[in-house]
Amino acid sequence: MAERRIAFRLNGREVSCTVRDHETLAAMLRDRFQLYSVRESCAQGLCGCCTVIVDGLAVSGCLYLAPLVDGKSVETVEGLGEEGRLDPVQTAFIEHGAFQCGFCTPGMVLMSHQLLQENPQPDQEAIAHYLSGNLCRCATYPEIVEAVRAAAQGSHVAKEEKSHG
Amino acid sequence: MNAFELVRPTRLEEALEVLSEDPETVRPFGGGTALMLLMRSRLLQPRRLVSLDRVSGLDRLDLDGEGNLRVGSMVRLRDLELSATVERFCPAISRALLTLSNVRVRNVATVGGHLAHGDPHMDLPPILLALGASVVAQGPAGPRQIPLDQLYLGYYATSLQPGELITELVIPPLPEGTRGSYLKATALSADDWPMAGVAAFFRLEQGRIVEPRIAVSAATTTPVRLPAVEAALAGEAPSEALFSEAGRLAGRDLHCLSDLRGSAAYKREVVRVYVRRALQQVWAGR
Ligand SMILES: Cc1cc2nc3c(=O)[nH]c(=O)nc-3n(C[C@H](O)[C@H](O)[C@H](O)COP(=O)(O)OP(=O)(O)OC[C@H]3O[C@@H](n4cnc5c(N)ncnc54)[C@H](O)[C@@H]3O)c2cc1C
Ligand code: FES
Ligand code: FES
Repeated sequence: MAERRIAFRLNGREVSCTVRDHETLAAMLRDRFQLYSVRESCAQGLCGCCTVIVDGLAVSGCLYLAPLVDGKSVETVEGLGEEGRLDPVQTAFIEHGAFQCGFCTPGMVLMSHQLLQENPQPDQEAIAHYLSGNLCRCATYPEIVEAVRAAAQGSHVAKEEKSHG
Repeated sequence: MNAFELVRPTRLEEALEVLSEDPETVRPFGGGTALMLLMRSRLLQPRRLVSLDRVSGLDRLDLDGEGNLRVGSMVRLRDLELSATVERFCPAISRALLTLSNVRVRNVATVGGHLAHGDPHMDLPPILLALGASVVAQGPAGPRQIPLDQLYLGYYATSLQPGELITELVIPPLPEGTRGSYLKATALSADDWPMAGVAAFFRLEQGRIVEPRIAVSAATTTPVRLPAVEAALAGEAPSEALFSEAGRLAGRDLHCLSDLRGSAAYKREVVRVYVRRALQQVWAGR
């Protein structure tokens, strides 16, 4: 069975491991790095539970081959925020109760984080559009949209405070 | 998924060489979004995959000297969506991309894979067919240009030869004043793959329709132009009645497939309505 040694940046840390050529990124992150926030549900690119950021772009870990991250930078929700401090999106999700069972939450948080990188002040339509490939079985969609708006507001305010010194 | 070997050549010649080994069990891998679905459901069990992600020279996205838009086969759909060049060249393409699958798939899926797959339920082929686009293919026998109306032979069947790769998409410039629209109907959910897609383009000269181009996909086994509908529109003054008639003609003779997204009769009815609406949109300049 074909396998290879790969090295990449995982949540800010240089790591390396051996992967099988046909291993998915989601399987590698769970089985070899115990990153259980990456969850495979539909295995078809539809639900977003397996969302991973590769070189700054959101991908479906279920449809991405692990060997392809060699030399790249990979981020999961475990890498958001800093030690002891959550990312504004995470805080907003908690404050707005934007989950029930929490299964979809890592993917929702990562996608929302990506959205705010690309578009710091999205309106409701932009949020719904960007998150249309993420499904929440508990249907906490209204709370999620509210949380993303609040996170946008929050990071906006935080930035202004900083710039006013 | 079955075990396979992944190769990542850096030069096109290398990629073509590996592909020529045995086109039956060796497959090119663009973004892999379609391949992964096929392999995960075991519909496809390749022995080797040739990833094109490191092959140099497949990522151009610009206008050539003749004003053709040239898109390398490894350009990601999301780059196409966000490109100001594409938006200026043909806003209908940029708009269609917004509802093509989701952000994660568009971040990874490539133009070459999108065009080579031959799945009729794809959003860009009908638009590109209406625009008279072609692809450049490179294979053991050298390069050749394939117009889109000769690329799609049937359901998941293309005229690409074994071992041949798409290297570029070429879209000729639209005559000044041409406007276009792409509408799709989805059946299983709002963001499902299209059950019917309609692309419509025309321009007006002295109040008359010039060079109308209508293409339909998803409801049909391949994307198709509708010459009879185009003929009925050419030279006429736009009106609601004319567009209704065009829709009626479009739905009347179309050969549709019945599948889980709808019966053939239902799809013909949807095409009738969507051709009319697409034409209305072009006219209204939206
Ligand atoms: C969840 C989901 C939803 C989707 N929804 C939509 C939708 O609404 N509308 C839509 O249009 N599409 C949709 N798609 C399909 C998507 O557009 C295709 O999967 C994608 O465009 C394929 O591109 P790729 O680069 O990933 O192809 P790959 O999977 O890499 O390849 C596809 C095929 O082309 C071959 N190939 C790849 N590159 C080349 C090349 N350069 N030359 C020759 N052959 C090549 C491969 O061997 C394979 O046979 C959806 C896909 C997913 C996963
Ligand atoms: S498990 Fe990957 S998108 Fe659903
Ligand atoms: S919170 Fe349960 S799936 Fe979203």
